Amino acid sequence: MSARSFDDVSFGDDLEEMKTDVSLDRIKRFTGAAGMTFERFTNHEAARKEGLPGAIVPGIMSQGILAAMIHRWAPGSTIVKIDTVFRAPLLVDSDPVCRGVVTDMNKADRTVEVDLTIVNEANETRVLGTATVRLEG
Amino acid sequence: MIVDLHNHSIKSDDGRAKVENYCQWISKRGLEVDGFVLTEHRQFDGDSDYRPLEDAHGLRILKGAEVETDYGHVLVFGVNEDLLQAFDFTRLDLPLELVIRESERCGAIAVPCHPGRATVGMCAHYEARGAVDGVRVIETYNGGSRGGENEDAIALAERYGYSGIGGSDAHIVSHIGRCVTRFDREIRDEQDLVDALTDGKFEAISWI
Repeated sequence: MSARSFDDVSFGDDLEEMKTDVSLDRIKRFTGAAGMTFERFTNHEAARKEGLPGAIVPGIMSQGILAAMIHRWAPGSTIVKIDTVFRAPLLVDSDPVCRGVVTDMNKADRTVEVDLTIVNEANETRVLGTATVRLEG
Repeated sequence: MIVDLHNHSIKSDDGRAKVENYCQWISKRGLEVDGFVLTEHRQFDGDSDYRPLEDAHGLRILKGAEVETDYGHVLVFGVNEDLLQAFDFTRLDLPLELVIRESERCGAIAVPCHPGRATVGMCAHYEARGAVDGVRVIETYNGGSRGGENEDAIALAERYGYSGIGGSDAHIVSHIGRCVTRFDREIRDEQDLVDALTDGKFEAISWI
């Protein structure tokens, strides 16, 4: 894939929406690789005992998924900063969609600001944030 | 006139949006919004001058605050020096009754926001402790609401005869203009806004 140039980007540009797999199997693979042992991520019943509606997707995984969406949109770009706010639990075995949109541009350092969200099936925002991304060119 | 009554900029601890970018977004997306109110958490931003942005984008940019009470979060419109002396905006446990009473005394108006939200909304507190005198307007459409929270707010308004406003509760640029309030008149400044909210001639709208 070719790199995305700063000059090819405009304020208000949407990143391509990205569906993501947050099935229990995938979460177990992630938490295993990350050495995370909390059952609230991998066991619905254990999560409910903690007062959660079900097992939840780890925050660092959500952030990683959003970073992947940015790199899919702009291969070769550099994420200078990514900042996420977890407004509500993103549930394991749900069917979320990741979205991004360019909301600021800084020509001097060739960076753009991107609004980031992960919404669930009801179009409710579960994770939101922003990223500063340096583009080629 | 359509105004988004609940938004946060980078002046709020969890706000990530620059005010200039809110203006650009409204223009770029062609949103039917004539203005918006900045309601920063636990503070009133009396210093920032947004008149150049208003002129550049043809928008009205007003200022309020979002304070925290024993019945949840509350928007305050028409903040002035008297009100800033009446209670400590930084407190996390302001008595709602005090905020309502002092706002009215100082010519402002207090509007409980996202009432349907757990802990920080007033519905659950009403169930547990009863209603508070003096509430006239609540936020019935909040852009950040989830899972029936706005429906609970509307039910509360109907039960107690409150008027309802709409506000996006935007913390990022692209969330402004999701919930708004339509007024039957022009809102030129914060005093106009207080007068209009006091008169009760407005309508909450959700564009989500």
